[in-house]
Formats: sequence, structure tokens, C-alpha cells
Amino acid sequence: MFVHLHRVKKSYGTGETAAVVLKGVDLELGKGEVGVILGPSGSGKSTLLNLIGGIDHADSGTVTVGGSDVTGLNDNGLVEYRREHVGFIFQFYNLIPNLTVGENVEVVSHISKAPLPIDQVLEAVGMLDKKSRFPRELSGGEQQRVAIARAVVKNPQLLLCDEPTGALDFNTSRDILKLLQSINGDYGTTILMITHNTAISAMAHRVYKVRDGEIVETLANASILPAERMEW
Amino acid sequence: MGLGRKTRRTILERKAQYFGTAALIALSCLLYTLFNQLSFNTDAGTAAFVTDYAQEDASFVTAAPLSGISGLEARFGLLIEQGESFDDTVSEGRTLRVFAEMSKVNKYAVIKGRPLSAENDLLLDPAYAKTNGISIGDTITIRGSSFTVAGFMSLPHYIYPLKKESDLLNAPGSFGIAVIGKDKYKSFETESHFYSVKVMGNAGTNADAKLEELKKHLKQQGTVILKWMNTDENPRVTLSTSKMDSMKTIGSIMPVAILLLTCVLTAVVMQRMLARESVIIGTLYAQGYRRGEITRHYLCYPLFVALGGAVAGTVLGLAALRPMLDYMTGYFNIPIASVSLSITHLAVSLLLPLGLLLVSVYAAIRRKLVHTPIELLRGGGEQRKTGFLERRAKLDRLKFAAKFKIREQLRSVPRSLFLLLGVALATMLLLLGFTMKSSIDYMLKDSYESTYKYRYEYMFNSMRQGAPPNGGETFSAAPFASGPGSPINFTAYGVISDTHSISLNNRNGKPIAFDRVVITKPLAERLNVKPDDTIKMVSKLDSRLYSIKVDEVADSYVGELLFMPLESFNELLGFPAESYLGVWSQQPLNIPDHELLSSSTAAEMRQAFDSLTQPMQAMLGVISLLSFMIGLIVIYVVTSLIIEENKDNISLMKVLGYRKKEVYSLILNSSAVTVVLGFLLGVPLLVFSLKAMYRSLADSAGIVMPVKMSVVYVGVGFVIIYLIFELSKAMSKKKIAAIPMAEALKSRAE
Ligand SMILES: Nc1ncnc2c1ncn2[C@@H]1O[C@H](COP(=O)(O)OP(=O)(O)OP(=O)(O)O)[C@@H](O)[C@H]1O
Ligand SMILES: [Mg+2]
Repeated sequence: MFVHLHRVKKSYGTGETAAVVLKGVDLELGKGEVGVILGPSGSGKSTLLNLIGGIDHADSGTVTVGGSDVTGLNDNGLVEYRREHVGFIFQFYNLIPNLTVGENVEVVSHISKAPLPIDQVLEAVGMLDKKSRFPRELSGGEQQRVAIARAVVKNPQLLLCDEPTGALDFNTSRDILKLLQSINGDYGTTILMITHNTAISAMAHRVYKVRDGEIVETLANASILPAERMEW
Repeated sequence: MGLGRKTRRTILERKAQYFGTAALIALSCLLYTLFNQLSFNTDAGTAAFVTDYAQEDASFVTAAPLSGISGLEARFGLLIEQGESFDDTVSEGRTLRVFAEMSKVNKYAVIKGRPLSAENDLLLDPAYAKTNGISIGDTITIRGSSFTVAGFMSLPHYIYPLKKESDLLNAPGSFGIAVIGKDKYKSFETESHFYSVKVMGNAGTNADAKLEELKKHLKQQGTVILKWMNTDENPRVTLSTSKMDSMKTIGSIMPVAILLLTCVLTAVVMQRMLARESVIIGTLYAQGYRRGEITRHYLCYPLFVALGGAVAGTVLGLAALRPMLDYMTGYFNIPIASVSLSITHLAVSLLLPLGLLLVSVYAAIRRKLVHTPIELLRGGGEQRKTGFLERRAKLDRLKFAAKFKIREQLRSVPRSLFLLLGVALATMLLLLGFTMKSSIDYMLKDSYESTYKYRYEYMFNSMRQGAPPNGGETFSAAPFASGPGSPINFTAYGVISDTHSISLNNRNGKPIAFDRVVITKPLAERLNVKPDDTIKMVSKLDSRLYSIKVDEVADSYVGELLFMPLESFNELLGFPAESYLGVWSQQPLNIPDHELLSSSTAAEMRQAFDSLTQPMQAMLGVISLLSFMIGLIVIYVVTSLIIEENKDNISLMKVLGYRKKEVYSLILNSSAVTVVLGFLLGVPLLVFSLKAMYRSLADSAGIVMPVKMSVVYVGVGFVIIYLIFELSKAMSKKKIAAIPMAEALKSRAE
């Protein structure tokens, strides 16, 4: 398995105020697959994603990505791991406001060993014509396309998305999902996506249902639906 | 309103910015208060001489004792008192001028110790006492009588104790003054006396007229006046005031400029802080807070910075006033009974920062509240626009790091301007210290040592003729003014044409021959003459007018001097051929004391110059230290502003896999260019303002100095500024490291 979590636990705070957020999570996702995490607010989805992305340390258990043990890495090791292998997409895009579209993509490409050409990636997300615009001059959907371009320009093995369509309307959301699906197809990128929208599970190979810090159900999906045919 | 806690927490969260700017205000208030209250007190001290100690308006010497003094006093509304003094040779080359205590005019002012009471009490001038290691309570012997030093004093007509009027510098190692009781003085049975006159009442401009009347009346009566001098031309008074003026020139303009600049700088920082609060303002506004309530809340921040800074700075300035005053009075010889405070300066120091900051922040808030809550929630008015420069910058061909840094600087022009001006200010202050120090060093080392080649100077008390004492070289000197009533005074020297005692170079560094008329550069500048121009000069001895053609200007800053061949000097003034007034020599000469007006050594001259510039040098030390602190605070505040404003970006970079070093470099080095530009801006600004300052120094204090800016000092200045930058970067690293990655994941876009 490309992504493998074994008995991962995480809690915040200490003593009386300690809150156990992940209570021993097991998760598996194959290479080149799309996984979707579903669950109510506060159930620990983001925490889980952050552990996989190497943004946070697990308290116990192991996180293995592409055969290497992420939990065994120190802070500098995690930096190198994120730098080489992981792409992030956030709900609120998080573009750097005073850099242009092209420059926002360059933020990542200039630190990667073998980045894809910026123009090619912008072309792929349909933003090449707006390369020298500033983020505030773009719609939310356009900003999210730029964020996707930024995440894929390093050609990561793993793409982590935390509610990428959470702030977008139906049509725009579907376009973004289409884009993610085509990236998965074209580059073979493994994608793990958090969503509140159960309909999105239709495009995933695996669906994980999280409740109270535990994965209560894992579904394998044999018939992947193309994003443009999804409705909700 | 429940926002009080927010104020406190915000200030504590952004300590660097709030406490940094408060410290900046505090520093400039300290400077302002210290220097201005200092001037105020020294001014009061000088005024006290006139009022409390009855400084003479004129003094004169008559051939025979003056009779009918009380009649003259009544007739012209004057106070006239006979003054007496004699010179006591304490030891080889050391003279103490002993005055009899006066009761109506020129009353002594006790600076330290107690007034005269016992018969054998004596008061000394503090510089002489200090240089010669005499303390209060010591016993000294004068003409066989022993005296107890009761204290230190200053005489209103001898504030700056010059041995002779033509001296420019006093040499406390070889000359000092003392006062003893009138009765005791009588026992010495000496002859020298003079009369001191003070015009009674608030005479003002009328004084000169009254003195003229007195002079005319005395002449009509057949009194022979040997010498007459009004106080405004008494160098023993005017040189002291000019020393003080030199301090005041530096001490008054600069703190005001610094205070204004720091206020502007702080206002910029406050507005940046406000800009970041848009969303919160919008939220408060949306939830029904009134404009007034929001305004009041945000005025708390400048109130904290301005009030905290101003109060702290003013208090510190007042605390430093007394020791600084003691130090200064030591040099200026003025009595300061008790420290008094100028209410105006106190008010400016406390209220100027407050006023400026409150007004500028108030205006900024009002501008924000013009927007609807929705607009504010979306990031608020101006933030949504892309700056003109940002849009126009064509950066495509640059490396990413360069692009990022330039964008960071363009993002907030006021912030970059704050940094630019702050660094320029720090550079100016720093280089000011260095440059003035090198000017002074240059004058001491290059000018004095390369010009004065003799080691001993002897001035005779009467005209001499014939061969000089063995090993001596003859010369003459006389005081002149550049015209009747002109304030430009200079000394003219007659020197032998193959002199080995004086050496001057022209502009090209070639030695000047003394077979011609040479003037020094400071004098040439003040008179505004070039070689081959003719100047007018009035003798201060006989008031006759002469004109003389200048052949050459010497590149020397030793003073305002004119040199001509001794023969021409004698011819011009109508002295007998081959006569002279003094000799220069390499070895001490054996000349009886009674033939001498004065003797001095080149070393004494240097010492005297050093003491003349010492208060200035002390001030320069303070200024250099302050500039270091201002530079550090400005750069540190801007760095923390940049970090604050880039919190999300830093967090994002961490998530994206940027290494620590890469984040430091991108964020912290973004202002490197601005720092360098600020330095480059500071250098010409300094040269410009230094020229202006030296000009006013020359006008007010008669100290003419060259603007000497050595490449080495500029280099050292740059290194220091850059070190400050590196230091503030090092101090900021922890802050960057502390920003959590989760910040990027939770926060929303602009
Ligand atoms: N830094 C933190 N310190 C303390 N508790 C935290 C921290 N981050 C998250 N939590 C807690 O952990 C729990 C899980 O948070 P998490 O962000 O993973 O939820 P989520 O499933 O992503 O919710 P949502 O769908 O609302 O984004 C929450 O109860 C939250 O309060
Ligand atoms: Mg979440």
C-alpha cells in the first residue's frame, strides 16, 4: 500500500484538558488511487490529513508513505518529505496575496528538484491566460485552480486536499474535481481528499468514514464515476 | 466596552512593535528633554550673571585714579566699582590672576563650595583647580600668604578665563583666576586697577548710549582713558557664550528633527497595524459597535505608545539632566543654583508624540469606517487594491527569491519608507558622530601639528627691537576686525619670510612661502575672499582702517588668521623696522617674567582646543550610541512587522516544504535592499545637513571646521548598520520558528 497508517493516535493538550482526537486509526490507500475522507466537523479529519502530510507528529502508531516511515522523521526530515513528495490543497486556497498567479506557482517550483514547467501546469488548470493577475483579482474557483497548479507543479506522489471545494458552488466544484481527477489520471498522483459532500465519494477508489477520532467504515469503490457526471 | 482585554492582549502579542515604537519615542523624548532643558538651564545661568551677579556692561582703565565715582553713578544712572587684580607666578609657566572681591559689579558666583568668609579664604576657577589637582579645603600660597580654598567660582567678566584678550583658548594648566576678600587684597599693595561699569535698570539698547555719554564726559573732564571695552566684545564673556552656542546648535536642532521623524515613523507603524485589523473592525462594526466606540478603542494603541514612550523618555531625560548639567557647567563656568524646568519644552516632549500619533491614527480609523462592514470584512478598502508599483513591476526575468523580496517591499510602501527613513536617520546620526570626530581629529592632528612647528611662544609686554634671544625667531601679532564694528575678528601675524615656526600648505598641498600675505581657509570663507582680493581690516588697538591684498589662501583650519612678512607688518602699522612683539623657539628661553605678557607652549594650545570641543565630543558620543539604538529599534520593528504581516505566508511555506533557512532568507532578507538604500540616502543627507550645521557653528561659535568624511568611516558606518540588521534578523528568527503550520490551514484568504 502506498499510504499505510497503523494504530495512529493523536491527542492535544495535557492532563485534564487533554483531548484525544485520533484514537488508533488504520488506513490504507494504494498508489495512484483517490481516497475520500468523510465525517462530521471536529471528528479529526484534518488532523489525520496533517499527520499523513507530515505537518504534525503522531503520538503513537506509524504512518508509512511510499515505503518510508513518516513517523520516524524529525522536523528536518519532515521538511524534506513535504518538499519532495507531498502537495497540499486547502479549503481557502491560501495563495500569497502579493504574488501573481505565476509567482504563486513558482513558490513551489523553485524549491523542487524536478518541477513541471509552470506554463504547462497553468495550461492544465486553465489559468495560463491569467498568469500575471493577483489572487484578489480572481474568483474563488480560479484561485483554487491556481492552488492546484501550485500543488502539482512539483509532481508530487501524494496530493492532500482539505475540503478543496468547501467554499465553491456546484459548477465550480465539479470543475475542480474534474481537474483533480484528470491529474490523477495523467500523472498517476495518489490523492487523499477530505470532504463533507458524500456525493464526491463516487469518484474515489476508497472512502473512509471518520467519527470521533476513529475510522468507522472503509468502502472500496469499483466503479469510478467521471467527475462531470456527478450531481448533488 | 469589553474591548479592554483585547487591547492588552494585542499589545502583549505584538510586543516588538508596540514596545519598540514606544522605545523609539522614549529615546527621542529623552534626547529632546535632555538637550533642551540643558540649554534652558544654561541660558538661565547666563542670564543670572547679568541680573544676580551684576555683570559689567563695560570696563575701562584710566591713567590716574578716578575720583567722584558716586557723582558719576548718580548722574548717568550707573554702578561703577573699582576692580583690582595682580598676577602671581605660582610656578614656572603657571600664573594665577588674583582678584579682589567686588561688591557692586561683577560679583563672584559660587559654583561649588561656600562663599568667602574668613580672611584667608580664596575661591578658584574650577578648570584651573581641576587641571592642577586642587580641591576644596586645600591650602595654597600666594606671595607668602597661605589661603584656604573655600570653593570654586566664576566671575561674570571672566567666565572664560583667558590670560589675555587676544587669546582664543584658555589653558587651565598654566592660567587660572582666584578671588580673595577686599581687605586681604589691600595687604598686597599692588597698583593694577580698572573700573567696571554697569548700567542700572532695564537699560537694553539704551546702555550703549549711556556708556558713550560717560566716556565723553570723562574725556571732557580730562581723564585719560587707556583702555575701554564693552562686554559684548569681551572675549572672556563672548567665548563662553559661543562655546555654549556650539552645544546648543547641535543640541537643539537635532533632537527636534529626531523627535519629529520618530513620530512620523511611529505613525506609519500604527497605520500598518490598523490596516491588519480591517476584518476585526468590520466584525465589530457589523455587530453594532458605534463608530465612536471603535474609534476610541483603536486610539488606545497610539495612546499607549505615545504616552508610555513620552513619559518614560521625558522622565529619563529629566533624570539625566542634573549630571549632564554638572558636566556642562564644569566647562562653561556658569552658576546653576537649582535646576529649573522649561514648561514649554516639557509640554512639547510629552504632548507632541501624543498629538501627532492620535491625529494620524484617528484619521486612519475614520478613513476605514467610511467603508461598510461587508467591505471591511472582505479585507477592508485599500487592501483590496493592488498597488500601482506592484502592478507595474516587471519582474518576470528575475529569480524567484529576488521577485519575492521586491514584492514584499512594494507591498507596503509606507512600511518600506519607514525602514528607509529610519535607517537613513540612524546612518546620519552614526556618521555625524564619526564625521565630527574626524573633523576634530583632523584639526588637532593635521592642522595644529603640521602648522605650528615651534614649541614655545613668548609675547613681550612691549615692542622690541634688535636681535632676538638666542634660538628665538621674531614675530608680531595684533588683533583685527574685518571692518568697523564687524563681528569677524582675526589675528594678523608678521613672520620672517624664512620662518621655521609656521608651516602652511596651499590647496594643492604645496608649501606656502611667507614672503606674501596669506590667510587661512576659515577666514577666507567667512570674508568670502579669493587670492588677489583686497580686504579691509580695522586694528582693535588703535581703530585705524587698513586694506591689504591677499596673495594666497592656506588650506588650514587652525583658526582665523592672517600672515604677512614681518617687514610689511611693521610698515603697515607704522612700527619701527625690525621691531617685534614675540619670539618662537624650539627650546625654553630665559626671558625675565616682567618683560613678558605671556608665554605658552604648543602643547597647551592643543589641550585648549581639546577642551573647547570636549562638550561637543561628549555629545557626539551620546549621539552615536543613540543612533545605534534607533537603528536597531527601527529595523527590529520593521522586521517584526514583516513577520506579522507574513504570518500566513510563513506558515504556508513551512507546509510546502521550505527549509528554515529558506524561510529566514526570503522573509528576513527582503528588507536588505531597503536597508542599503537607507544607508546610501543617509550619507548625502548627512553631508548636506552637516554643511548647514557647520555654517551655523561658524556663525554662532566661530568654530570653523572642515566636513571631513573619510571613506574608512563611511565603511565602518555601513558595517555597523549592516550588523544591526543582522542582529535584528537573529532576534527575529525565533518568531518565525514559532509560527505554527496549522495557521495556514485554518486561516482564510485575504
Ligand atoms: N491545535 C489544536 N489544539 C487543540 N485541539 C485541537 C487542535 N487542532 C484541532 N483540535 C481539536 O481536534 C479535534 C479535531 O479537529 P480537526 O480539525 O481534525 O477536525 P475536522 O474533522 O477537520 O473538522 P472540520 O470538518 O470542522 O474541519 C477538534 O475537536 C479540535 O477542537
Ligand atoms: Mg478540517
